[in-house]
Amino acid sequence: MHDTQWRVFEVFHQSTRGEPHVHVGSVHAPDAESAVILAKEQFSRRQACVNMWVVPAEAITATRYEDADMFQHGTDKSYREAFGYETTKRARAVGDMQEI
Amino acid sequence: MTLTAEHSALATAHREALADLLLRMADDELVIGHRNSEWTGFGPILEADIAFSSMAQDEIGHAQAYYRLLQDLGHPDADTMAFARPSAKFRCSSLVCLPRGDWAFSVVRQFLYDAAESVRLEALASSSYAPLATLVRKLRGEEKYHLLHGRTWMMKLGSANDESHARMQKAIDELFPHALGLFEPTQHESAIASYGIQPRESVLLEEWRRSVEPVIREAGLRVPANASPVHGGRTGKHAPALAEMIDAMQKVYRIDPSAKW
Repeated sequence: MHDTQWRVFEVFHQSTRGEPHVHVGSVHAPDAESAVILAKEQFSRRQACVNMWVVPAEAITATRYEDADMFQHGTDKSYREAFGYETTKRARAVGDMQEI
Repeated sequence: MTLTAEHSALATAHREALADLLLRMADDELVIGHRNSEWTGFGPILEADIAFSSMAQDEIGHAQAYYRLLQDLGHPDADTMAFARPSAKFRCSSLVCLPRGDWAFSVVRQFLYDAAESVRLEALASSSYAPLATLVRKLRGEEKYHLLHGRTWMMKLGSANDESHARMQKAIDELFPHALGLFEPTQHESAIASYGIQPRESVLLEEWRRSVEPVIREAGLRVPANASPVHGGRTGKHAPALAEMIDAMQKVYRIDPSAKW
């Protein structure tokens, strides 16, 4: 994980209060306080931001890409889709909801 | 020299007092911005390089905004002020003129300078000169970040290891007298205060001391005792380092002053 003498911190950015924090990238920093001041200039130079999180990369537990098949559905699971709702239909119509 | 009706209505002494303050502020911002930009491409790590360069852009943006206010008072435009003026006409402090030194030197300077700027902007937010008060209220958000940046580096490098501690202390010892010089009073000092433009420099200096000294101590560093301020910058008496910097900064402009960018 350490490709320099500094640790890697993942950076999450919130554009408006109440919206989810979105992962925008990572910074190298010796500690969390430094990560905040460095992340601020890397990731809010061009976009609106009201709040920023930094998380040590080593705190994240991830699945392996080799296991990506475990997320695939082996049988028809369309019964899980909330297709009865009007909003779902509208969303499908504009094409921003491939999977539900 | 063209003036708006609003500015023509101001007494000459009032206009001169305003211009004196604005010129000092603009020149400080332009020169520190340029000095800090000398780290672009050379910062200790990419992220630190970008953050420092970005703050340098902020400072140059502030300079431009102050030059615009000067233009309202009859001065030439920002580009002319920045690129067509000889260094002897600059009214910046000695602090901002010093070559960038090592990283410790530049981060200590950035901290001392931005703490002073924060104090000044806080005072100017209630200035009697409305265009200035309105402007500085907009700049305070960026200043807040600059101060956080400076404080964080002070805390980290003050105690990271023996070498960082020694370099930081050396930088503070060297920079402190120059930082005191940021508050060099000018001949317009009394007018600036009596017109309600800004409190006296001595008032801001005390405020600045109350702001920076606890941080220096908390960072495990020593506040230099009996440091005496380096004055001269506000009357155009600069060390040769400024002329060298201005020369480099104006080089491209001088090739063809009429070029459009």
